Amino acid sequence: MSLDDRGTQHVQSQLMCESLVDKGVIARTESPVCAILPDVNVIHIGGRSIMDRGRSALMPLLDEIVANQQQHRMIIGVGAGVRSRHIFSVGLDLGLPTGALAALSAKDAAQNAYMVSCLLAKHGFVYLEAPFVVQLLPAMLAAARGAVFNGIPPYSLWEHPPAVGKLPPHGGDAGSYLMAEVFGARSIILLKDVDGLCTADPKIDAQARLIPEITTQELTRQKFSTLPIEPVVVELMGRARLARTIRLINGLVPGNLTRALAGEEIGTVVRA
Amino acid sequence: MTDVARNAPLTSLGKQLVAGSLSDLALMRATEATANYAILPWVNVVKIGGQSIMDRGRSAVYPLVEEIVSNLGRHKMILGTGAGTRARHIYSLAIDLGLPTGVLTVLGTAVAWQNAQMLHYLLAQHGIPFIEPEGFNTLPHYLMERHAVICQGMPPYKLWEPNPEKGRIPPQRTDTGCYLIAEVFGARKMIYVKDEDGLYTGDPKKNAAFEHIPRISVEELLERDLDDLIVERAVLEFMVRARNMREIQFVNGLKPGQLTAALNGEPVGTIIYRNGDPR
Repeated sequence: MSLDDRGTQHVQSQLMCESLVDKGVIARTESPVCAILPDVNVIHIGGRSIMDRGRSALMPLLDEIVANQQQHRMIIGVGAGVRSRHIFSVGLDLGLPTGALAALSAKDAAQNAYMVSCLLAKHGFVYLEAPFVVQLLPAMLAAARGAVFNGIPPYSLWEHPPAVGKLPPHGGDAGSYLMAEVFGARSIILLKDVDGLCTADPKIDAQARLIPEITTQELTRQKFSTLPIEPVVVELMGRARLARTIRLINGLVPGNLTRALAGEEIGTVVRA
Repeated sequence: MTDVARNAPLTSLGKQLVAGSLSDLALMRATEATANYAILPWVNVVKIGGQSIMDRGRSAVYPLVEEIVSNLGRHKMILGTGAGTRARHIYSLAIDLGLPTGVLTVLGTAVAWQNAQMLHYLLAQHGIPFIEPEGFNTLPHYLMERHAVICQGMPPYKLWEPNPEKGRIPPQRTDTGCYLIAEVFGARKMIYVKDEDGLYTGDPKKNAAFEHIPRISVEELLERDLDDLIVERAVLEFMVRARNMREIQFVNGLKPGQLTAALNGEPVGTIIYRNGDPR
């Protein structure tokens, strides 16, 4: 420890006395990042695209997850769905801020994740809240067969103000993506109700064609009117250190998840 | 899935929200026109610097605690703490070990937490509680009863902290966490207590020739693209988009009376404000 001439008690370090806002100091902190859980696959189950459809969509998917359990370690993020749309509507009508909407919406995804964990419980999956993901995920993966987590990141009242409008920018896709990035996961697979990214919204335009592969730069440049993933994920991928690709697949088609886990080129792969 | 839309008396925006895609720019824009309700319009968020105040120990912290106490009857305060030199140490170590930004956030949060605990011990005899992010729903009660609460300044992002554009240091730290508290509650003021009189054209600790800036717009500050700043860049970026907090103030906590002056609405230190008001 040392005392500077202005009376601050310092601990010796590379960053001692430095301004962490200084661009030069920030640039010096660039170095390789290690993968914490390199063999884990992050699977994201969409809220509105899968969960809100109930049994017919979810059960075959969970069977497929269980069937792949021996070959692939998985942690499963689950998104919010139509209930969040409803509470956004009521919350906006009441004038509530973005952070409050984020705190409310996170509960919808938590409910969905909890239901998934109940359905997978007999196969040894556990539900982990954010503090337990931080403390216990590796232990849980050693002891349990897999884990289910709330896809929405725990930003709550601290959610970022969005660039446009008032809706929380970080939803389930973003949280699951950030899990894959921080753990250096083997893959991140997002399960939706469309085949991937298409030239137009396939629910509206029958002429829409699937785009099998695209870069984040191209995605940003083309300005799609709607996307099957949260736009913030594209932004986050621009700063990726480990999770440089994501795969979007149709979770309503049996076999798709198995193929994606096996590394087959299905759906859309987005590369940073 | 359309049941909600059919049966419930939703607003027209509500119907769009239930039926449409949240990534649709037109829908995002439609949410822009909704009202803002300020949850705690009388509260002041005060951030106590880590390296600038807490790491100095008694000589800096005791007078500041006294000043906080003397303002208790007149102003309601959420006191957030910064991290400081121990965070710099653990960031250096963790970067050397190859750990990702999300892990650095978990580690840095512990340092801000330690500083908040220490401040809490010093203010405990005045009945001021320390609250965790999960306990924020009790905050209005304590503010009414005891006029202040203490929290650690880091946003509770944990492993979910987004990467910075360059390097490994978490881009949203305690300046940002405190700012977002002020923004979400629609607070009266956001005051940063540091060890300088405010913003300078460069780091005044490194060169005394840099000039003091008493008042500047966030747009101008971003345009200047300074190599170093008094505040995390994320705060400036969020200020441009914010719906409630349009002004932040920086005061020197080593000069008795500056915090009080800022709480009373005086233009001490530096004020960063948002030009015009598109929202």
